[in-house]
Amino acid sequence: MSLGMIRLIAMREFVDNVKTKGFWISILLLPALLVGMVILQARISDAIPTRYYILIDQTGTYQQAVQQAIDLEYQRRVLQEFVSYLLANRKDRDMEQISADAGGAADNLIDTVDADQSGAIQDWMDNGGLDYALVLASPYLREDAPPFEAPDRLFLAADLPGEVDPNSPMDEIISNLRPYLNGERSISAGDSRGSLFALIMIPENVDRDIIRPGTLPVQRDGTPAGIQYWSRNLTDDRLPNAIASNINREIRDREFAARGVDANLVRNVQATRLPMNRLDPLAAEGEEAVSMADTIRQYAPVGFVYLMFFSLMQSMQYLLSNTVEEKSNRIIEVLLASVTADELMMGKLLGIGLSGLTTIGTWLLSFVLILALYQSEQMAVISQILDVVLGSALIPWFVFYYFAGYALYSGVFLAIGSLCNTLKEAQSMMMPMIMIQVVPLAIMVAVVVDPDNTLFRAMSWFPLFTPYLMMNRMASNPPMFEVIGTTVLLVVSIIFVLWLSGKVFRHGVLRTGQPPRIVELFKLLRIRKQSEAL
Amino acid sequence: MPPSVLTLTNVNKQFGDFRAVKDLSLSIPRGSVYGFLGPNGAGKTTSIRMSLGILAPDSGELSILDHPSALQVRSRIGYLPEEKGLYKKMRVWAIIAYFGMLKGLDKKTAKARSHELLEKYGLHEFAEARVEALSKGMGQKVQVLASVVHEPELVILDEPFSGLDPVNQQVLEKLIRDMADNGQTVIFSTHVMQHAERLCDHLLLITHGTKVFDGTVAQARALIPRRITLETPDEAGPLTSLEGVVNIVRDGSDTQRWQVQISEKANPQDILKKCFTEGIALSRFEYTEPSLHDVFVHLVKAEPATEEA
Repeated sequence: MSLGMIRLIAMREFVDNVKTKGFWISILLLPALLVGMVILQARISDAIPTRYYILIDQTGTYQQAVQQAIDLEYQRRVLQEFVSYLLANRKDRDMEQISADAGGAADNLIDTVDADQSGAIQDWMDNGGLDYALVLASPYLREDAPPFEAPDRLFLAADLPGEVDPNSPMDEIISNLRPYLNGERSISAGDSRGSLFALIMIPENVDRDIIRPGTLPVQRDGTPAGIQYWSRNLTDDRLPNAIASNINREIRDREFAARGVDANLVRNVQATRLPMNRLDPLAAEGEEAVSMADTIRQYAPVGFVYLMFFSLMQSMQYLLSNTVEEKSNRIIEVLLASVTADELMMGKLLGIGLSGLTTIGTWLLSFVLILALYQSEQMAVISQILDVVLGSALIPWFVFYYFAGYALYSGVFLAIGSLCNTLKEAQSMMMPMIMIQVVPLAIMVAVVVDPDNTLFRAMSWFPLFTPYLMMNRMASNPPMFEVIGTTVLLVVSIIFVLWLSGKVFRHGVLRTGQPPRIVELFKLLRIRKQSEAL
Repeated sequence: MPPSVLTLTNVNKQFGDFRAVKDLSLSIPRGSVYGFLGPNGAGKTTSIRMSLGILAPDSGELSILDHPSALQVRSRIGYLPEEKGLYKKMRVWAIIAYFGMLKGLDKKTAKARSHELLEKYGLHEFAEARVEALSKGMGQKVQVLASVVHEPELVILDEPFSGLDPVNQQVLEKLIRDMADNGQTVIFSTHVMQHAERLCDHLLLITHGTKVFDGTVAQARALIPRRITLETPDEAGPLTSLEGVVNIVRDGSDTQRWQVQISEKANPQDILKKCFTEGIALSRFEYTEPSLHDVFVHLVKAEPATEEA
């Protein structure tokens, strides 16, 4: 084989791809999408309009519990945002030092506060508590950190429309409020107006419906038992959950009181707990505590699997369409009068491989550029994630599995391309290959959570899955024999597939007419004489 | 006899049950313009592909530029396949240069030659255009240039004229003549006899995979007897006595038209004289050299069509 010819073919193939606009559009789409998603994610929570609710409590005893639930929900959001603000703007960028569960601490705090403490938190917030916390935190924050802005309240009580009598029968209230609930009429809340998001109805005799251990739920015809939560939105369950849990707390407090037990005592007992520290036995001594960096590293393979999938898919697409173009244009004949089929194949593999590397290189470069040019909270987080990932031991594995995956899949696709005369034919033949690659993509998160699952371990031995699955499992240090075993199997299959596709390629490229059937394919491979003459 | 650039000896090729080429033997002298003729499906393209090492013969010997396989002398051969195609996105000069480089030219020479050829054959204004912008005929011209940019000793063109307009056919004929003048051997296949007639020193005619003629144009013409068409109300029989007249046949019993077959040596003038002396009143006397077209039709018809393609 002449290296000069291979290089010549590879360069033409490479330049042919890189010169097209479509190539760059498809490459730049991914970082643009990712950045767009990050920004969008941040904007989504800001974009939720204020949600107006009406509470009708005919018992007159649960109103406070509902109000508290809504307050707590708000306080939780404020504190959560505050924690993520601190994380994003801290001076110390070392993810190794940050607990993997910083946000969880704020959750714990809110979960254990008492009804009267909720008021205290509100007081603390109203009296500049967060500012004070900011002052305390400021030595650890970057100098250019933007000021913290507490989020607006999400749920606001609306005024009960004049025509509705809160003490009338439930059916009547519902039928009166229906136009508001289904969006036909807007409702006023102080100075502002909006659509009614939810109606919480607590019927007068709701206490009959309390479920106790040993009793069956009350069955009633027509109206459902218990509290009624009316809303067009069927998916956002934050409000109903918060209200339900607070009302239940209130009921339990009453039960305690009826039995002469001090509810506060019970709550204090319930609030006692031991911290759970997550430790990693594989980490160096003294660094076993699971940090944010560890969590990121654990999930980083998902990103690599994604990257591999997109880049390989793109490469295979080019490999296939270029081969089919040469075949349908019959350029292949001129090429084969100039170079051997092996040189042509190697040249194509190299050229498309270079295009693939260009893709990955461009992705990395564009990330670096975006991070450098567009600095914001979200971007800061991305750059920290990138730091952790690039500093991890995963990069060499990614490089290895990327090349291995490329060699394996390109061999298969090249053979397919050489057998097809039109892109249409090629596409139907490549469908199964895409399906195979979708499998590791579909299970990649499950693999991170449960890397030692027997099924995943077994699947790793299938060479077409090996690059994806082993990359996926790499962060959890899979057993050495599996790493070596699958790698040997992978390399052997690569050699086999390239040898086989070389044979198919030599015969396929000059073929016209229908793609061969499987039986014909075997026959084709058995004709040795011809292939040796080529 | 000059040395041969391409020799096939008893070459056979079969696709499934179809015998594309049967026991084909030929020898192409260096420096000749060699026409490869035959009807569609005769086995021309298969023979060419085998000569180039793209297909391997099932049996038989092959020698090209003194080597058993064209792959060893690839850079000394130029090839234009029957079905034409180019990379659509490439620029015209670049694709010519690329094919030159595949044949071993260095980048600089390939580029210079590419522009030179485009200039010489009237395509310089398209040098920077992309191939997809060219018309079919233009694209074909570009491909012809791409196949000869490395100045090969042996040029094999499969149906180079098909799809070209008369003006461009002339340009191509000029290109072939230029190459012949340059000492390059040109083999081209066609089923249009006029091109072969104008360009070729040697002809090879195959039908159904079998060689039916191999020789010079003059030899081909000699294959079918020369003939004179006469129209006369009189009896043309007396002409038989003339030396050189092979045979006289009336075109049906009630016409005045006669076909006079004459030998190679016979002079039509003598026959005309004889008509006057014999008092045969002529209303028509027509002598025509047999064209290659006639030869082609004659030979292809003579070959019994045993295996239909």
